Amino acid sequence: MSTMLQSETLHKEKGRLQSFFSYIRKDYMLYLMILPGLVYILLFKYVPMYGVTIAFKDYKVTSDIMSAPWVGLSNFTNLFSRRAFLRALQNNILISVYKLVFGFPFPILLSLLINEIQRSKVKKFVQTAVILPNFVSWIVIYGLLYAILSPSTGAIRSIASAIGYKGTIPNLLTDRDHFQAVIVVSHIWKSAGMGTIVYLSAISGVDQSLYEAAAIDGAGRWRQMWHITLASIRSTIVVLLFFRIGEMMYAGFDQIFAMSNNLVISVADIIDTYVYRMGLEQRKFSLATAAGLFQSAIGMVLVLTTNYIAKKIDPESGIM
Amino acid sequence: MSKSGLRKKGMADRIADILISIFLGILVFTTIYPFWHVIMYSVSDSHATMSGGLFFLPRSFNLLSYKMLLNTRQIFVAYRNTVLKTLVGTLISVSLTAMTAYPLSLSRFKGRNVISMMIFFTMLFSGGMIPTYLLIKSLGLLDTFWVYVVPGAMSAYNMFILRTYYMSIPASLEESALLDGANPFQVLFRIILPLSLPALAAIAMFYGVGNWNSYMDGVLYVNNQDLQLLQVYLRQLIGAAGAKGALGDAGDLGPASRLTEETMKMTVVTVSIIPILIVYPFLQKYYTKGVMVGSVKE
Repeated sequence: MSTMLQSETLHKEKGRLQSFFSYIRKDYMLYLMILPGLVYILLFKYVPMYGVTIAFKDYKVTSDIMSAPWVGLSNFTNLFSRRAFLRALQNNILISVYKLVFGFPFPILLSLLINEIQRSKVKKFVQTAVILPNFVSWIVIYGLLYAILSPSTGAIRSIASAIGYKGTIPNLLTDRDHFQAVIVVSHIWKSAGMGTIVYLSAISGVDQSLYEAAAIDGAGRWRQMWHITLASIRSTIVVLLFFRIGEMMYAGFDQIFAMSNNLVISVADIIDTYVYRMGLEQRKFSLATAAGLFQSAIGMVLVLTTNYIAKKIDPESGIM
Repeated sequence: MSKSGLRKKGMADRIADILISIFLGILVFTTIYPFWHVIMYSVSDSHATMSGGLFFLPRSFNLLSYKMLLNTRQIFVAYRNTVLKTLVGTLISVSLTAMTAYPLSLSRFKGRNVISMMIFFTMLFSGGMIPTYLLIKSLGLLDTFWVYVVPGAMSAYNMFILRTYYMSIPASLEESALLDGANPFQVLFRIILPLSLPALAAIAMFYGVGNWNSYMDGVLYVNNQDLQLLQVYLRQLIGAAGAKGALGDAGDLGPASRLTEETMKMTVVTVSIIPILIVYPFLQKYYTKGVMVGSVKE
């Protein structure tokens, strides 16, 4: 009885294997096609994931990753005892929070206002104009900021005198008290136009008869904007908000690397710049990797959590 | 239009229109002006720029800084590298992405879910800067051109955008081609890709703009001056080190005394943004499309 069953399952197994191989033979070209992509992902994404083990090892440039001795969590305890890291973590969170609080509502406001433009040519022009900064690098933006903010030769001189400011003009790019504001404002400036794309397309899907009905009921323009336009993109806003919160651990490496300097390092240093300095300049690979792993791990937890919540609110949304 | 047609244009409405126009006008000005300022500054005589302020027109038009810049070899080297990186990198990226996305778009492809999950996971978690650096070093890619185009060749996000787009193409087209004896490569190149041109254009834009603007790869992996990227060169010129140092010998030429560092900086910024300013109004359309395709869920 049992042997019969066994042979039967064996037979079934064999049949399944056979069909699997015949399938592979038939569609082997599909595997050939995906092979480069698969090799790419394994080599350039998964090998570095294995590489994070050096956060738990004492890795020296001369040794290889495998043979480096395990040291448990000592790199992490070392990391959290360093004032510079804690400062970077604090700056990282502060800059992210500022960007979220001031930067998140801006594209929403901008889309609402662009939507109020009635001439389609003007509308298109405004949209095209505000998206321009998105197409240039942070290095270029630093150059533009320098041109505007330089206290000796910048445009800021005219701007200051136009608003009646007589005092000396501080160099905002090297001034510790204002540098985070410069980071946040330039971030908004660069990304606002891009942010309006999703909102404007959500707005364009709003049923026009709603506006007509509201107008008949005597709702003015601001009330229409509030109760119809804004209400209809509410779920888009919530979902994007959660995604933004999920990215909190990433305060903008490209931007800060391009804009910061030694004079403002105490307010501009974030986790990524700390990792760069520790790892690639001071060659403390294990310590730097520990900092990077801390960032990645918290980042992943944040993304998964916010994605879960976004999905609860709007089942259609979410990345999974 | 229908929306406004119904409205009675009352006083409040007109005031609202004016307020919105003013706000958006200021915004458009703050977006465009910095670019304009830099260009006008770069074509002004250095002495006339000393007092700073706003530039709506050039102050005593002068192209000396351009002559100086074009006398340096490095600007051509950096430009060539960035153009090559953009062309080769975008070609590699689009091909790799297009090929990876196709099998993953087919429900009959076994292993589809496992591989999709594997690629998806790379969007959640990454090894980070140091392990990636060590890998690239051990592969011998440091100080080679390939480091610009291979390690960042495929973005998982773009791959999923394209896969979603492929899945919107009716399966019957593919089936009839398979019945005619076409193999998957022929199906992809003759049927799927021609039908996916809008999505391909969009991801080509993403990769192209990304390649043109990226500089961290140039900072992290390359020391060789002959492989320097335009953005890295720009950073050297406008950064704390100052223009004179980065211009090298050419910076010490006679007329340099009549040129300020500021004018040189504005010139090199202008030279690096001109291509973007020319093409971006055309790119913008595809860019918008790509963002839209990306936000549509299966």
